[in-house]
Amino acid sequence: MKIALAGNPNSGKTTLFNDLTGSSQYVGNWPGVTVEKKDGVLSGHKDVIIQDLPGIYSLSPYSLEEVVARNYLVNEKPDAILNIVDGSNLERNLYLTTQLLELGLPMIVAVNMIDIVRKNGDKIDLERLSKALGCPVIEISALKGEGTREAAELVLSVAGKGVKEDGPHVFSGSVEHALAHIEESLHGAVEKATSRWAAIKVFERDVKAIDMLNVPHDIIEHVEEHIKDCEKEMEDDAESIITTQRYEYIQRIIGSVFKRSLRRTSATLSDKIDRIVTHRILALPIFILSLCAMWWLAVAEGGPGTKLTDWANDGFLGDGWHLPFTAHECRADGLYKGMEFEDAKGEFAKQEASKSKWEEAYLEKINEGKPDGEKVEKMPEKIDEAIAKTIIAKGVFVEDEETGEPVAKEDNEDEPDLWDVDYAAYQKATEYEEPDPSAFGVWVPGIGALIGDGLEKLGVNDTVKSLVVDGAWGGVATVLGFVPIICLVFLFLSFLEDCGYMARVALIMDRIFRRFGLSGKSFIPMIVGKGCGVPAVMAARTIESERDRRMTIILATFIPCGAKTVIIAMFAAVFFRDMWYVAPLMDVIGIAIIVLGGIALKKSKAFAGEAAPFMMELPAYHMPTWRGVMIHTWNRVKGYMFKAGCIIFPACVLLWFVMHFDFKFNLLEDEQIAESMLATMGGWIAWLFAPLGFGTWQGAAASVSAEIAKEQATATLGLVAAGMDGASTAAHVSNLFASMSSFPKLAAMSFMVFNLFVPPCMVAIAVTFREMGSKAWGWFAVAFQLFVGYTLALSVYQLGMLIAGGGFGVWTAIAILVDLWCLWMIVRPGRSE
Amino acid sequence: MPLSAMEIGTKHRIKGVTGNDAARKRLEALGFVEGMEVEIVNKVAGNLIVGVLGSRVAVCGALAARIMV
Repeated sequence: MKIALAGNPNSGKTTLFNDLTGSSQYVGNWPGVTVEKKDGVLSGHKDVIIQDLPGIYSLSPYSLEEVVARNYLVNEKPDAILNIVDGSNLERNLYLTTQLLELGLPMIVAVNMIDIVRKNGDKIDLERLSKALGCPVIEISALKGEGTREAAELVLSVAGKGVKEDGPHVFSGSVEHALAHIEESLHGAVEKATSRWAAIKVFERDVKAIDMLNVPHDIIEHVEEHIKDCEKEMEDDAESIITTQRYEYIQRIIGSVFKRSLRRTSATLSDKIDRIVTHRILALPIFILSLCAMWWLAVAEGGPGTKLTDWANDGFLGDGWHLPFTAHECRADGLYKGMEFEDAKGEFAKQEASKSKWEEAYLEKINEGKPDGEKVEKMPEKIDEAIAKTIIAKGVFVEDEETGEPVAKEDNEDEPDLWDVDYAAYQKATEYEEPDPSAFGVWVPGIGALIGDGLEKLGVNDTVKSLVVDGAWGGVATVLGFVPIICLVFLFLSFLEDCGYMARVALIMDRIFRRFGLSGKSFIPMIVGKGCGVPAVMAARTIESERDRRMTIILATFIPCGAKTVIIAMFAAVFFRDMWYVAPLMDVIGIAIIVLGGIALKKSKAFAGEAAPFMMELPAYHMPTWRGVMIHTWNRVKGYMFKAGCIIFPACVLLWFVMHFDFKFNLLEDEQIAESMLATMGGWIAWLFAPLGFGTWQGAAASVSAEIAKEQATATLGLVAAGMDGASTAAHVSNLFASMSSFPKLAAMSFMVFNLFVPPCMVAIAVTFREMGSKAWGWFAVAFQLFVGYTLALSVYQLGMLIAGGGFGVWTAIAILVDLWCLWMIVRPGRSE
Repeated sequence: MPLSAMEIGTKHRIKGVTGNDAARKRLEALGFVEGMEVEIVNKVAGNLIVGVLGSRVAVCGALAARIMV
């Protein structure tokens, strides 16, 4: 048995759906959250399927989602309709109800948000409403789970049963007369149950519905006379007559069933908030401020995001961490007594550096004058005291710029911290052992350390150990390390969406989007795109105009998604720690591409013309429920972690394989990575990336693997950079870019923008093709995105080098020419329609 | 007079919506029909937030100019 859930956008359908089926679909506080219907089994009734339809205002379809809902109701004929209406907004919601009643399907009306109605002091006379509509009516509160069970039982009791033939008399005498005439003419051509609905559709001249119902042409011609007469009498066109009279009918019902409380105030809190957030001057700054707040939360230095990420990378997934509130200074006697763990680690690193510097100097001394063959390479067991006492090495100890970790470096121009290491200091240094973390608090080993130790104990083969630790786990850990950031970004977005602010953002952005021929509605897919490109492309379905919809699909994925956030986070952490604005800048660049790309596209023949007019219901603000925000965030994070498991994991294993074997399937040592299959294959296409500053096999491999899933770029970089000098992944990656270009920061920036703004991952590309509905449009989207990404990276690197004093080359000229051409595409006079 | 020319905070009864296209049908489905009372809640750079049927609907200036009151 199939029960369809139908109702206006934002009337609580999905909340009811979750309550009835026990699932956790995402519920948003803005229209257009459900763009495809979702199925679920009614809890306690295995044979009953509940289907959640997209929210619609009417059965006259203007947008794709309304078509989805209407086609389903008319063609698939569910056994019953559960029409959910927002009791606090009864008048608007009943408009759809009157249309649904005409379909001739068993139906009940569930008046939702009854708790809000009561709180407002309003009263709804359910009995009268039921009588007027001619179908059972029940009050519920889907959010509080009140009356939902009863509603389910009620709908089951009517399902599959017949419907009374005479529905409510909605229209005036002359219209009903014409409808009766049409219904008579349709006799035999359409099913009896749907004949009233069909008659109204014929009256309205709804071409799509007439086609769907296969109404014979001669009937249409025959009844046209009646329609024209009616129009003449009413001095309006047929469709408007129907709409107006529906509302008149609803207002009559409302008058008798709805008692408005007298104590309602004129300006609600929602309006007061709107006066500020949609203020003509403050609106935009408030929006930008909220974007900055999100980025501060997620990736800013010292913000909660970076702290959590450090913990996830080094602690939870890495070596281990101290339980909060248990960390203390070392109490055990010894060299570290009285020190905090971090200081102890620093001290150990310093002593290690001193030791190796001194040993280096000692070996040099005893090897002095000896021929090559006789040189001592390792420290002898017995140290010659006489020589040793003469040696004073220079220890150089600095903090690594990017990671803040202590490392020893030989040539460090930036204020080296030099000190003398004599024999006594060396002897003391040899006494230092790696600090035992358990002496500083309750130590929880990290997963990385556990896996390493576990394999060590099992005594497995080194190659397998490398596969597991460096290949599989290394890649997955890189991606999982970003879960805290993803969580925070999604948490923030979920909050903004659930409280109702996002719908206002569409309104605020409308004036900007209109300038380049899109409406504010196109902004919603882009905001969804901040989370993930796949639902973003699908969210474009709420846009009525086909042309606007295609353009939105092409442009929506330029907003850096959650996966791309991982790339931004990595680069911000490795290269741009002192530049807090780089992360939000990527969002700004994304928006700029959308704006400028939109302007350029709009000037082409295919997209010329005004944007569709903007209209959108603004839901009332409400404090999001903790549970709701959590479900929303969790659904998105789950998707991300699932991807880490199902796509990144096999990709990393494959990557490890092509990194550790050459084409003759010889197992390679770590130092031989340049002979690997990956290096060879990357080398074939590396030239493509040379003008962008990362034209090495590593850059090529990372960029190509990013198409599997964007965050794979970071995982691949981590893997291919592992052979570089340095104490941590960050240092490896930093050195990798230093080896690629003499302007490593520029190359890094170029790599980042390239991977952010070329076509999205494979999944999103596949969805783009599907939603475009044509291969040609799909390819166009991909080509456009490829061009934008490449051009942007080229410009960043070439023009950046020009400014930084890298000289003027062929590619500088090409970059300037391409940029000028783009500029021309943007500023050239547009086509008139 | 078009709705777009009205002041914030004022209430009006709709006389009709001009033009005959999908946008008009959509407006009508949202409640902008003859005889309906609407209130202008706010204006944002030419776009209007209109109170209609107890909820708030954002309408761009071009459309508001077609709603006669």
